[in-house]
Amino acid sequence: MTFILISGRTIPQGSFVEHKLSKGYQRATSTLFIHSLDLYELGIESGDRVNVTSSFGSVVLTTETTEDIQTGCVYIALGPYANAITGGYTHATGMPDYKDIIVEIEPTEDPVPTVWDLMEMVGGVRYGN
Amino acid sequence: MEIRDVPCPFCGCLCDDISVRLEDNRITGVENCCTLGNAKFLSKSRLQHPIMRKDGKWIEVTYEEAIDETARILSDAMRPLLYGWSGTIGEAQVVGVHLAEEIGALIDSTTSVCHNPSILAIQEVGHPGCTLGQVKNRADLVVYWGCNPIEAHPRHMSRYTTYADGYFIDNTATDRKVIVVDIRRSDGAKIADEFIQVKPGGDYLILSALRAMVRGKDEVVPDSVAGVEKVQLQRVADLMMKAKFGAVFFGLGVTMSRGKYKNVRNAIELVSELNRKTKFTISAMRGHFNVYGFNEVLTWMAGYPFAVDFSRGIAFYNPGETSVIDLLERKEPDACLVVASDPGAHFPKSTIEHMASIPTVQIDPCVNATTALCQVQIPVAITGVESAGTAYRMDGVPIRMKKVIETEFPTDQEILERIVTRIREMRSDG
Amino acid sequence: MAEILLKNAYVIDPISGINGEVMDIAISGSRIVEDASPHSEVIDCQGLLTLPGGIDSHTHTSGTKVNFGRYMSPEDMRAGRTSKKGHMHITSGYSVPTTYGNSYRYSALGYTSLVEGAMAPLEARHTHEEFKFTPLQDSFANALFDGNWGMLRAFEDGDIKRAAAIIAWTLTAVKGFAIKLTNPGGTEAWGFGKNISCINETIPTFDLTPAEIIKGAIKANELLHLPHSVHLHCNNLGTPGNFSCTIGTFGHVPDVNDKRQSLYATHVQFHSYGGSGWGDFCSKSEPVANMVNFRPQIVIDMGQVMFGRTTTMTADGPMEFNLYRLHHDKWSNHDVELETGSGIIPVNYRRKNLVNSIMWAIGLELALLVKSPWQCLLTTDNPNGAPFVKYPEIIALLMSKKYRDAEFETVHQDTEKRVPLPAIERELDWHDIAVMTRAGQARALGIIDLGKGHLSPGAEADIAIYPIKPDEIDPSAEYEKIIQGFAQTEYTIKRGRIVSRRGDAIIDGENTTFWVKPKVPAAYDMQHDTVFQELFERYYSVRMSNYPVQEEYLHRNHCIETETDL
Repeated sequence: MTFILISGRTIPQGSFVEHKLSKGYQRATSTLFIHSLDLYELGIESGDRVNVTSSFGSVVLTTETTEDIQTGCVYIALGPYANAITGGYTHATGMPDYKDIIVEIEPTEDPVPTVWDLMEMVGGVRYGN
Repeated sequence: MEIRDVPCPFCGCLCDDISVRLEDNRITGVENCCTLGNAKFLSKSRLQHPIMRKDGKWIEVTYEEAIDETARILSDAMRPLLYGWSGTIGEAQVVGVHLAEEIGALIDSTTSVCHNPSILAIQEVGHPGCTLGQVKNRADLVVYWGCNPIEAHPRHMSRYTTYADGYFIDNTATDRKVIVVDIRRSDGAKIADEFIQVKPGGDYLILSALRAMVRGKDEVVPDSVAGVEKVQLQRVADLMMKAKFGAVFFGLGVTMSRGKYKNVRNAIELVSELNRKTKFTISAMRGHFNVYGFNEVLTWMAGYPFAVDFSRGIAFYNPGETSVIDLLERKEPDACLVVASDPGAHFPKSTIEHMASIPTVQIDPCVNATTALCQVQIPVAITGVESAGTAYRMDGVPIRMKKVIETEFPTDQEILERIVTRIREMRSDG
Repeated sequence: MAEILLKNAYVIDPISGINGEVMDIAISGSRIVEDASPHSEVIDCQGLLTLPGGIDSHTHTSGTKVNFGRYMSPEDMRAGRTSKKGHMHITSGYSVPTTYGNSYRYSALGYTSLVEGAMAPLEARHTHEEFKFTPLQDSFANALFDGNWGMLRAFEDGDIKRAAAIIAWTLTAVKGFAIKLTNPGGTEAWGFGKNISCINETIPTFDLTPAEIIKGAIKANELLHLPHSVHLHCNNLGTPGNFSCTIGTFGHVPDVNDKRQSLYATHVQFHSYGGSGWGDFCSKSEPVANMVNFRPQIVIDMGQVMFGRTTTMTADGPMEFNLYRLHHDKWSNHDVELETGSGIIPVNYRRKNLVNSIMWAIGLELALLVKSPWQCLLTTDNPNGAPFVKYPEIIALLMSKKYRDAEFETVHQDTEKRVPLPAIERELDWHDIAVMTRAGQARALGIIDLGKGHLSPGAEADIAIYPIKPDEIDPSAEYEKIIQGFAQTEYTIKRGRIVSRRGDAIIDGENTTFWVKPKVPAAYDMQHDTVFQELFERYYSVRMSNYPVQEEYLHRNHCIETETDL
């Protein structure tokens, strides 16, 4: 199913800013807020995982139901998960399209990657545990 | 022991009424902080010593080795990029700008992916604004457009707008109205007097419609604009024109959506228009506690607020070309120094892919996503907690950050100065 | 200690009574001394014009508003950019140069002291930060009080001493130098989008008139024995017919100080307009100059407009909004809580525009009609009237009727019907110019005793040597040489060191900030006054303990302590 993805700040994401490798941050930034009707259309429940794909990449996220957003739109806290599907084209403005990203969403059993996983996918090397 | 009136080093609100309780040089409690501030003051995890990558593995090194390697990386580079800056104080930012000028580097800050479009709009049409105390004392109408202060700037409403006592406002609960414009029903929207739920990308149209109404040209506005009823827009235009003092605050919902700086420009022009009828101001909700500080420093030193290229021996500014995302997307920089920010977590995938492929150094107290992308990380004192210096609030008011704990960690200013010295030594050695 | 001996300098030092003597000047360390030591570095000035270092008594170079002007105007930044060269950092900016740009270019003009025209106390820290990066000129900051709630409330209660105590606390806290009033009452009214059009009009939010604010401030200033007088940007700036407001204001000024003026009115060109609208706009420099001629207690500065692009920036928020409505270009505004306001718009003064041509004439008329150069100082209210790099052209216009006439040919043809300029024959001489660009400033600012503005032994060694041989030039005919000569010194010396040589800054420099600290008795110490503290507890958005500018922002500084009559 096609959706418009918006990213933005949330308190949980902000409160873990000094602990980006923690489970709390992972949870805060890999949760996809989606309308209950859309969950129904997808045939899944709140808490199930989905694969979200844009023209720049794809990432597995955990859904969470909300009534606060319009159907057809999904919301995620800004962070490495949102950026896994964000492109670097800025229309010569310097600002990439962090919001209003067109994505395809389908249910999946795949696990949600950790932040270290995401960094290693682009060539990084994790530190410590 | 208690230290009062401590400015908080988290967000652009720069609340300076925090009380910090200390025992044996450790923070045991804070008062007046929001969740985000709490997290900053009470945070415990950090990197204890510099680290370097050798043969694909991380090893501990001394500060001297780390600085040496950093100086070597920057000296050898043809197109070095110095990025970040928003989480540190002005005195360190100054060293960064001097360094960039000296080695002919590119320099940019988190502004580029945050309020860069606001600055572009201001450079086109100007900025009718004010300090936050003006809003607190006078505003009887507050508009939050494309931002969610409850989550991003938690004490904004209680210190400066909706819930703040004002000299000219007898009863904040009844005398002050709030309008929220957002694509979703955020917590802010839930307490608004008027909530405009706009379709994603529709802000520009709504702003144009409001401008038409303010000019008395209601007839050109269709019955529905970007998912919003004309009737609601008329109510809002009316509220705006009847206000004695309206304050608009806008955030990333406006700068990042389709239209980007055009959205902000339209909002500024609406406010300039409203000034012909009543008093209105507009302000950007700056994210980091000192992101504006970097804009100020770079401007008085080089002439431009962000995205400056010193490689030609002059200050060259061309956002869209010299801004960090575009540079990384074009794979131009061949070395990168990141200070006080975390691009690993906040940049689009393709750009951090390039960052991972070039020699990158990070100066930051904590292990973060960027750690994985760099070759060297140098931990430093936490600004605003372990080191003092100047920060600029979202409205341009400069406040001095305090040092409340003694620390063994060097400050980022010291590290930057040592890097500069080392580079000069390397250059004179030939 | 470094020592320099300037030989064969053609000296004009009005304060010391020297007018065109070829003599030697001995410098030891940072001061001028009687005799040179045998180890002095000798510089042969070869009869070149040697003056005390220039002092700009009203310029906008540092602080929130100025930086706003920079960053909203990348086109202005590009227009004035320069590369790294020797010790000089890159600079940007034509009408609003970056801090290094200001410093290098002012130094090339021979200026060694600058008074920042408007500093909002709440944002003083920013001004001081920029002072540090304007290293070749000493700094003085005029602190804005026009909308200061604490002071206004005290005036409302008729309590001048309390007002003075609040001013004292604030100046000490923010390391300011003098009391600046910009459109007093108007900037506070602008907090709700209104303005004041008459000095006897009660302002909307306080039971006061601008006249009362001005008179009260003058009294308070003298109670504190501040070196400078109240520094006033009159109400109604830029409005046709405003000359009557200016004259009305001047009429209220008592003569209460025997060492200097009791009121310094700035950029008076913008306040000398006749007519009832833009259609019959004309010059009223004559009545204004007449008034000044009869009142030794008033000193003014020109605020000269020069043709071309520039950026207007002042604390006068409502005036800038009106200007924006005329020009339809970009507009910035920044009201400062409990204190003042500001506005910025870019402008282009055109010869083809009759109003602009009249404005250009008025500034010159004021300088020529005010008899004493000590009473009319040379400024452009940089950058409002023009960027300061145009000062040499203004000097030439004042010294040469021929140049004035040549320029007059190029302005709007109807200008001559509206202004007296063509009929004025007077040409200022070297001594007049020396007074208007440094000696007069030193006296008006009250800093002669600090060793500024003159070259007698004991003075600070701030010296400008221009490539001009006064006996060999006829300024009236050879005005091109005047422009070239004043545009770039052979040497600019600051605190005894050569800082600029033929346009290039040759060392990094470290300036001194001068600020005042009136000695207030305990009963009048606002630090412990609960009513004053309440302003911070309830209305400011910054805590009182965080408000004062901390010691860390002053590098080299000179604190001027004054006795008070409180």
